[in-house]
Amino acid sequence: MSDTEVKISGNVVAGVDVGSLAAKSVVIVDGKVAGYGLIPSGFNSEETGKSVLQHALNSAGIPREAVKYIVATGYGRISADYANKTVTEISCHARGANFLYPSVRTIIDIGGQDCKAIRLDSSGNVVDFAMNDKCAAGTGRFLEVMSNVFKVKLEDLGDLALSADSLVPMSSTCTVFVESETISLIARGEKPANIQAGIHHAIANRISGLFSRVGIESDVFFSGGVAKNKGMRKSIQEVLKVNIVEPTFDPQLTGALGAAAIAWKNAVREGVCQEQQPALQK
Amino acid sequence: MSRTATSVTKVTVLEKIRQAVIDRPAQIAAAKKQGQKVVGWLNYFVPEELLLALDVIPVRVGVGGDEQLVDIGGRYISTKNCVFVRAAVGLLGEKKDPYTPLLDLLAVDASCLQVFRLAEVVKYYFKYETLILGVPRSFTAPEGQAYFRHELQDFTAALEKFSGRKLEQAKLKAAIELLAKIRESLQYLYQYQSQDYANLNWRDVFEIVHAGFYLDRAEYLKLLQELIAELKELPEDKSKIPGTEPRVFISGSQLSPGDVKLINIIEDLGGKIVGDDLWTGLASYLDIQIAAPTVDALADGYLARVPHAALPYLNISTDSRIKKLKELLGRFRAQAVIDHTLRYCDPYTFKAGETKDILNNEGFPFLEIHTEYASSDIEAIRTRVEAFLELVRTRNDVAGGI
Repeated sequence: MSDTEVKISGNVVAGVDVGSLAAKSVVIVDGKVAGYGLIPSGFNSEETGKSVLQHALNSAGIPREAVKYIVATGYGRISADYANKTVTEISCHARGANFLYPSVRTIIDIGGQDCKAIRLDSSGNVVDFAMNDKCAAGTGRFLEVMSNVFKVKLEDLGDLALSADSLVPMSSTCTVFVESETISLIARGEKPANIQAGIHHAIANRISGLFSRVGIESDVFFSGGVAKNKGMRKSIQEVLKVNIVEPTFDPQLTGALGAAAIAWKNAVREGVCQEQQPALQK
Repeated sequence: MSRTATSVTKVTVLEKIRQAVIDRPAQIAAAKKQGQKVVGWLNYFVPEELLLALDVIPVRVGVGGDEQLVDIGGRYISTKNCVFVRAAVGLLGEKKDPYTPLLDLLAVDASCLQVFRLAEVVKYYFKYETLILGVPRSFTAPEGQAYFRHELQDFTAALEKFSGRKLEQAKLKAAIELLAKIRESLQYLYQYQSQDYANLNWRDVFEIVHAGFYLDRAEYLKLLQELIAELKELPEDKSKIPGTEPRVFISGSQLSPGDVKLINIIEDLGGKIVGDDLWTGLASYLDIQIAAPTVDALADGYLARVPHAALPYLNISTDSRIKKLKELLGRFRAQAVIDHTLRYCDPYTFKAGETKDILNNEGFPFLEIHTEYASSDIEAIRTRVEAFLELVRTRNDVAGGI
């Protein structure tokens, strides 16, 4: 069979992760990643989920009707009639990280509106986890606000912080307080790069509190959209004094990948798909 | 009281208990017209035996889950107090529920200092007559025991003056026996609901415990005994397959009548609650041994039971609260613990960390839920509980894991 025929003939599963800011989807064919999609989350979670799934299928060249099993995760999982099963993003990030890097035992996940510390075992099962409080301090939304203050693109915040020659300590991680503190600091003549480095450190300190509750063990993986921010990675490494695994796959897709891996496992268990050897491959 | 029990209701006495709770305020109002006095009480150490022996009507005060009462209470007491305390201040200030307008006295024990402050606030702002029972911080020391005996003697003298009656040993003996039988019955029901094929679930039993906050205690015992007799006769409920739901134990401070946010989330997500050690649940009814019908024996008995976490017992290796918790987890065949604390209920929040470490070492997954009555965090809590149940399902291979 040609590659296209394999994709259409069966053994296709997908994971869909509709987060607060971005929706992600990963498609697995015969246990291997075949395509993915990443779009901004819209107001309608159901439509966003379907749309990002279609993006992922288009990237893999697979028709919608070929998909045998879908797992939905993220905040939008509660409106996912298109899915066979829903699983929390905590379990999905663990499975996704395990799929990519089996030696990972700790995950730092910073998403659009929350951050999580997740401990997992060698099978990718969650052993313990902690989440931030209900406010959005130190999350993707917070950094989005900061990018508006500095008038730079969100994706450029990390490079901005890396160009810092010193670090301006911040007194809070509250989005509202930091925004006003930052405006005062700019007015006082502080460099935006130094302020942003201080903000990253403040977030990293806040995250370290989560690990006091669940512990930390190597290897450590940084997932979620904020993991693309190199300045944030550097601050976390400095504050937590850990080495973070260098990502070889978009860390923002980890939850969707984990959802797809769970979909694959369930599809095989239910006999909808036939397991190939090796079972799962990057 | 919660009216949303989830078991298939075929237990007729449960309906009788619910009806009795509906009828109770009118009964108390009628008794007041006959000259009986009503004492509302709060917290953990007020011995109902004394109240019953002096022929006053005890009502356990406090509701949960009502954010509006929290807002009202917050006008009179600092917002750094827990939502239960703020809601109780709101409740006592508003007097719109069926019980607070009937109260002649508010008796409060000072085990929790926030509740102690509540008594001062409602006395000042709403002119409640209040009576405070001091509770020693060093409750295991002989000096602490002597202090509590002295406090309870003073408390008794004040209650005698308030009720216009002298404490009689025979009446105290009868009250001790009555409450011992109520505790025994409630422990039976807790054990019963944890079994496979039971006709009551934990939520039903929790509701029955809360009914006992209000009902005439002799009538309550009659209903409990009638209920137990009915349960012994009923055929087992085979509609649910055992082993398909994670068995969850709720620990922590308290869930008061009406505070169903966490309970709803756990049950909606397929968790089976099998027990609790909350002081609005089973904890109040555990291990009270009263050796003689005397005030001193009452003091000794109440002080020796599983301690309220607000009392600073820091020797973790001999902490009887932890020991009791482990015993209950085994008794109810729990697979995991969800530790519930209300925001600013600091004593319980502080103890969650060490409790988690100990239970993790014993093989019990442990989830801390720190919340209040507002609904704004429902989805965040749902995610935590759902992930935790996924963890338990996978770990214990409940219905094949995730």
